Amino acid sequence: MSEKTPFFVGYLPVPQGLRRFLLVAVLGVIALFGVVGLVIGSTQDAPEQSGFRFDYGRQTVTGVIEMTPYPILRVTEGNDLIMPGKTLMLAGQGKNGIDARTGPMAGGLATVTGIVLQRGTIDMLQLLPGQRGIKVAEGEAQPIETEALGRWKLAGEICDGKCLNGAMRPGRGLAHKACASLCLLNEVPPVFVSTQPVEGREFMLITGPDGTPLPDMAYDFIGQFVSLEGDLERRGDILVLRMDAATLEVIPQ
Amino acid sequence: MSVKYIPVQWNRNKWIYDAVMLIGVILFLYLFLFVSPEILSHENPINPQIHNARAFGACAFIMLTVILCIGPLARIDRRFLPLLYNRRHFGVMTLFVAITHASYILNWYFAFSSSNKFEALLFANTSYGQLAGFPFEVFGVFALFCLALLAVTSHDFWMKFLTPPVWKRLHSLVYFAYVSVVAHVSFGILLDQQNHVFTVIFVGGALSVAGLHAYAAWLEYKAGDDIGSNQGGWVDICDASEFRDGFAKIKILPSGERVAVFNQGGNLSAISNACAHQNGPLGEGRVIDCLVTCPWHGFQYDVTNGRSPAPFTEKIPTYNLRLDGTRVLVDPVANSPGTYVEPVPLPDVVTKEVLV
Repeated sequence: MSEKTPFFVGYLPVPQGLRRFLLVAVLGVIALFGVVGLVIGSTQDAPEQSGFRFDYGRQTVTGVIEMTPYPILRVTEGNDLIMPGKTLMLAGQGKNGIDARTGPMAGGLATVTGIVLQRGTIDMLQLLPGQRGIKVAEGEAQPIETEALGRWKLAGEICDGKCLNGAMRPGRGLAHKACASLCLLNEVPPVFVSTQPVEGREFMLITGPDGTPLPDMAYDFIGQFVSLEGDLERRGDILVLRMDAATLEVIPQ
Repeated sequence: MSVKYIPVQWNRNKWIYDAVMLIGVILFLYLFLFVSPEILSHENPINPQIHNARAFGACAFIMLTVILCIGPLARIDRRFLPLLYNRRHFGVMTLFVAITHASYILNWYFAFSSSNKFEALLFANTSYGQLAGFPFEVFGVFALFCLALLAVTSHDFWMKFLTPPVWKRLHSLVYFAYVSVVAHVSFGILLDQQNHVFTVIFVGGALSVAGLHAYAAWLEYKAGDDIGSNQGGWVDICDASEFRDGFAKIKILPSGERVAVFNQGGNLSAISNACAHQNGPLGEGRVIDCLVTCPWHGFQYDVTNGRSPAPFTEKIPTYNLRLDGTRVLVDPVANSPGTYVEPVPLPDVVTKEVLV
């Protein structure tokens, strides 16, 4: 140590020759924290348009339940906001699907109550718990029309439908992968976000082939930019992509 | 210095140190949490829980970066040594900020399911065989575990209990924690950014830590302590005329230990260069009130016997000295800690030069 450097001892007063230097260092540390906090905080990416529509209030509609195997509802008796003919993905509260509740009702009419989540062309209804959320409705159910759209090769991202629809903002990407996996493991409907619109829609429900759930191997690719092939079909006003697991591959970015 | 263990030995400088760091952290969080949303004005704002998690996570990273920059800065310019003085408190503060970050993450991304959130943290993402999509959360968990271990063992009781060398090795875990934090961020949020301002700050911070450590190591390599030459079983320190009153000369002994030979009022005494507290470099200290004072935390020793003044009980090894003409030689075999060694007076011809 230079013999001229003032010698600091913690339990003694700060030497005169060090005071100005330490004052500058103190102000520098405080300024560093302030500037960095403000800069990082104010340069975060804007989440995309999505979210719970609490402003709509609870919505009650009746329709046909179908398991794709993930539950969807084709609305037959709607209201001012949800018109007949609309197709809704269904989920429970939190990171929970409702397969156990909708399974016995598949193909039949049901009245559902919950909060709408909107993301572009695809909507989801988060049901209230128990009978308040879903109950069998009287009447004859007409099967949902299915239109085969052929085999497609698409590029995009596998997400969980609930977070993508705005339960979380942001609700996609690699930083969100564990959360999306947890949602999908708990049977929340998965959604594929295509980089290019298909039949005018960039969001589509994604399943395994022949009406099976999302294949286990697909979980490793959640949140990544991937390409895959599959059979596309229109169910009501949403698209369902039956993916072929063997064609799934990561696209380098 | 303390003769008994108390939670914190507060003094004015420690209060000032903690206040400055706390002001910095509060300013960071205030601007991030409350001012930046106004600037962002997102039509669909980021969820408050995610915004909070990011604020506390970014703050913990900056705190850890500053903590790790202080060490090399103090080696490059000794005027930064006061920033080292109470760094442990800043480390404990970092743990609390990091725990807050982890709490927001656990209670948001891993909650709301039928599974226990701690279990969900372990099983939700198991893609360990790939880089993109790797479960980066494990790096954060490891870093948090390290920070907790360091905070819990930060008190001097643990240093005494574990011994300074073991304690120092244990606390070098902070470097593993930092590398783990870098991996946590690199495999997580960094891969999702469209705006790369944070990326630049993050990379800049990590490079600052690495660069400052490399530069300090290079300076020590270029101008560090010399290895003393062997003179018939004794180690040559320097010519007696090179000593200044109240200062030391440091040499590396064949064993690798460093010896500090002090000139106190024209008398030479040799002690271990490593302070009994945290292995601080005693030879870079000063003699204050007839006692060698460590530059890191102010622990003091009598140079003739290596003992702290009563009622303190710290002891360090001493070394035997002799003169060969005007050359100062030291016996490389250390005496037991606290052993008195008769000081060796500087030769008359040198004394006149030194004390004039």
